[in-house]
Amino acid sequence: MNIGTGKCYLAWATDEKTREKGSSGGFVSAALAAALDKGVVERVLVLKKHDVFKGIPTVTSDPKEVLDCAGALHMTAINLAKYVDSDVRIALPAKPCDARGVIERAKRNQVNLDNVYMIGLNCAGTMHPVKARKMVKEVYNLDPNAVLSEEISKGKLILKTSEGEKSIKIDELERQGYGRRDACKYCDINVPKMTDLACGNWGVPRGRKATFVEVLTEKGREIFKNAVDAGYVECEPASDKSIEIREKIDQAMKKLAHEWHEKLFEPINKLSDSERLEYYINAFAGCTGCGACKKVCPVCPCGDDAKCTMTEFQSEVHRIRMFNMIRLLHLMDSCIGCGRCEDVCPAGIPLTMIHMRFTERVQKKLDYVPGIDMKKPPFFETELKEVQK
Amino acid sequence: MQAGGGVKEFVPKIVVFCCNWCSYAGADMAGVSRMQYPPNIRIIKVMCSGRIDPIFVLMSFMEGTDGVLVTGCHIGDCHYINGNYKTQNRFEILSEMMNELGLEKERLRLEWISATEGEKFANVVKEVVEQVKKLGPSPLKPVIE
Ligand code: SF4
Ligand code: SF4
Ligand code: FES
Repeated sequence: MNIGTGKCYLAWATDEKTREKGSSGGFVSAALAAALDKGVVERVLVLKKHDVFKGIPTVTSDPKEVLDCAGALHMTAINLAKYVDSDVRIALPAKPCDARGVIERAKRNQVNLDNVYMIGLNCAGTMHPVKARKMVKEVYNLDPNAVLSEEISKGKLILKTSEGEKSIKIDELERQGYGRRDACKYCDINVPKMTDLACGNWGVPRGRKATFVEVLTEKGREIFKNAVDAGYVECEPASDKSIEIREKIDQAMKKLAHEWHEKLFEPINKLSDSERLEYYINAFAGCTGCGACKKVCPVCPCGDDAKCTMTEFQSEVHRIRMFNMIRLLHLMDSCIGCGRCEDVCPAGIPLTMIHMRFTERVQKKLDYVPGIDMKKPPFFETELKEVQK
Repeated sequence: MQAGGGVKEFVPKIVVFCCNWCSYAGADMAGVSRMQYPPNIRIIKVMCSGRIDPIFVLMSFMEGTDGVLVTGCHIGDCHYINGNYKTQNRFEILSEMMNELGLEKERLRLEWISATEGEKFANVVKEVVEQVKKLGPSPLKPVIE
């Protein structure tokens, strides 16, 4: 079949095992494996399952290993962007925030985008592994270590143990304070249009084990065509109805995200300017200066010797640590709201929400959304040519 | 409290960043022409306003200044071609950050001052000192001074 950019397809892995294991037809794993097999890329970056709460970012050149990693891990919170080494051609499955991280890193010359093939995954959110374990114990009444696999289907989180399966609605979990990470609840970018192929199960007719695939770039077309030619994948054009349903789900998720945004930001939104200063001083008072938030941040290109860690002297008299101030400053234009900093902060500071408050101001004012395309440089960069008229 | 027993009047401390070629010369000009301006400022001279990392400004506030005035050559006059374009970009971001943090925006100001504008320098300093005086001490002053 002729595969074209800008078109939508339903696709599935030809190998039955991959199809079963994958969360929607196994297309992504099959396409990644095919790309390795036929030399379209030299490496693939995948999340290797340790258990349902832990995935280990792994760079591999073995198609078999890629197929073994089929299936989503919803109860891990990893951003793959930091692990992309683009010295060689590399492909990765990318949630919207992974992809945005990669693009922001490319703007900072940390990644060569020409060498990166991103197979985008629709994403409605992930869960924090520590909270998820607690949830399994308290809400599901299961031993977290006994959970063999998990799946999200029709708004329910289904956990499988050797004794059977148990499913609870995610809405219900969130009512009880569990469920997705806050950053995911208010993230409104669910379909990764900034990648090469956008894949997911939205728009797939009921009862079909297939992946809805939108071909976004020439590179995406290459990966897709290669997978079909190599016999890893079969496909058919997506019907107008499928496309419409996918769009509808996306819009509904966006709306939900905006509602969450309003709800979760309310405690800061309602403050006056001076109250806000107090809020920030108090929030950051708990910071231990461990540096974890910087370490995991996909858009921070610094290594260990960075300005923010070097100006730490005298911090005990400062109202807010210079470390935090510098991170706020440096992320003014670039925080993609991935939520990783909040995930790892031992002091429980709502870092992502705080960063988003700062970032959204600039984004609105300068009509700039980070991690979407390469067109606009980061704001701190001034181009010489613009001055030498 | 002062020795006299009266309440000590608030004397704001203002950090002024000047570039070597224009605004510092402007400050010089103000001095040479014997123009009066308040003595509350501490001038930090850098070669070009493009050298002023916004971190310098943050650090000034954290260390207890009540206001910061950033100055440089007029746009197009920077002696390093585009240093002040950078300053402008950074300033835009930095002032947004200060707004979000909840610091009064009058505490931070950017002005282009040429070597001949001694009067402008004196006037800007006067204005900044007055405004900051009205606002009172910076809420970001260190816990122990
Ligand atoms: S600051 Fe936090 S939320 Fe923003 S990009 Fe970095 S890790 Fe993600
Ligand atoms: S992770 Fe939290 S405690 Fe550690 S440096 Fe960042 S803000 Fe501070
Ligand atoms: S030399 Fe004055 S701003 Fe660059």
